[in-house]
Amino acid sequence: MSFGPRLTLAPALVLALLLFAVPVALVFREALFAPDLSLAHFERFLSRGVYVAVFGKTLVVSTAVSTICLFAGYPMALFIVTRPVRWRPLLLFLVLVPLWMSILVRTYAWMVVLGREGIVNNLLRWLGLIDAPATLLFTTGAVYVAMVQILLPITVVTCYSAMTEIDPGLVRAARIFGAGPFRAFREVFLPLSLEGAVSGWSVTFILAMGFFIVPALVGGRKDMLLGNMIVNQVGQGNWGFAAVMAIVLLASTVALLGVVRLVAARFLHSPREEQA
Amino acid sequence: MKLRLLSGLLFAAGVLFLFFPILIVAPMSFSGDRFLGFPPKSWGLVWYRSYFGDPVWLAATWRSLRIAATASLIATLAGTAAVVGLARVPPRWRAGLSGLLLAPAIVPNVIVALGVFILAVRFGATDSEATLVLAHAAIGLPFVVMIVGAAYRQSDPLLEKAARVCGAGPFRAFWTATVPPLAPAILAAGIFAFFVSFDELVIALFLMGGAETLPVRIWNDLRFEINPTIAAISTFFVVVTVLAMGLAEYLRARATRRQGAA
Repeated sequence: MSFGPRLTLAPALVLALLLFAVPVALVFREALFAPDLSLAHFERFLSRGVYVAVFGKTLVVSTAVSTICLFAGYPMALFIVTRPVRWRPLLLFLVLVPLWMSILVRTYAWMVVLGREGIVNNLLRWLGLIDAPATLLFTTGAVYVAMVQILLPITVVTCYSAMTEIDPGLVRAARIFGAGPFRAFREVFLPLSLEGAVSGWSVTFILAMGFFIVPALVGGRKDMLLGNMIVNQVGQGNWGFAAVMAIVLLASTVALLGVVRLVAARFLHSPREEQA
Repeated sequence: MKLRLLSGLLFAAGVLFLFFPILIVAPMSFSGDRFLGFPPKSWGLVWYRSYFGDPVWLAATWRSLRIAATASLIATLAGTAAVVGLARVPPRWRAGLSGLLLAPAIVPNVIVALGVFILAVRFGATDSEATLVLAHAAIGLPFVVMIVGAAYRQSDPLLEKAARVCGAGPFRAFWTATVPPLAPAILAAGIFAFFVSFDELVIALFLMGGAETLPVRIWNDLRFEINPTIAAISTFFVVVTVLAMGLAEYLRARATRRQGAA
């Protein structure tokens, strides 16, 4: 006898089924049965302007945050990948360290930094730019700053790992054939790295859609996202409605990523296809 | 040349932004003032004392450590076994099975939390550390499968075959030939899974009524005031986390690189 795959896979599969697949299926069930099969919960979700507005806000904030992260993270990844190989682990390490800190801790740190007596306010006052402490905490701006700070390392790491797959010889070849550094980047490196950039954006977007700690702690009342509404509804015992929001969250994330992938596939030529 | 300087400055600015809040909080945790202001007017260990001297904070910390240790042990054992199993199932099954094991990493925790909560209510298993441990093990599983899987794919399958040929039984061959090269990756995966559980808020929030884990305690505290004690807790655990995760990352990188070169 050999210990077959059935035996070795069993514990993990049982765990993933019982504490992931079944629960997610139950969320669907809870949303669709109220208590009989009906779309009543969904109708309620769509009929209230507040919920639709929060949903819209979640899409806008997640799209904006992941786009900001991409524009900041792509050049950072590019910087690392263009350094000599022996320097890269250290530079990557600098980006990874903040990622290891708990989101709760990092959000708390922003509360401290942006508070009335926080360093930003005191610095602005010391510089004479403001007289009274400015309201920085509990604003939409604070939500953006904290979300970008929390998600940026993920964008950098995803872009970086895609960039390391690019053959540096191709850029060198372009340079040898007379392209300037900008042109070699624009016509060779950039197109090859766009797929990685799209996945960096997508990963960041998925994570941003599920955020609730940051908006709850550094945002104002108007900055609630879908994740906050789910948590609040569960707190009030409305599981059915929380489940509807969870499904709206899941479905819209999948749908938007589908669109992004289609658009990306339309405009990006995969290098592999061209070789074929 | 100018371009390199510019991109270097941009990178430095980005890293500074990433570290900025924690670099401010760390010195402030040694403030002796009653309210957190920057710069602190006096210094002291007041907030560390208020953390290490408060039975409520300590109980939450121990509970979190206990849950994370158990959950990561389960996730690491189950995940490592699954990596080995996945390599032996027919290829047409592999994508679906590994998809199921990896999916919890992509689905927002708040959705998993809601589902686990509904399930636990049905079976009367709320307010139970065991339920929370299993849920945390399930969300830690993808990281174990990814990290150990990456190392396993680069390990030499001939090693185990050689052990079998030399007369070792399947368990002995696995234990003496396959596991030792994977050990650093397994340890790294265990550390990752530990912190997935240790930092997890929303499942614990839904599942545990009175028995708060450390993140739940911090969360409940922050909703009402910016308690400086949390600056001390944050600083303490940032140091612990960075050291442990630094070790995990080192082990993971070494495990993948060394075997890649072999």
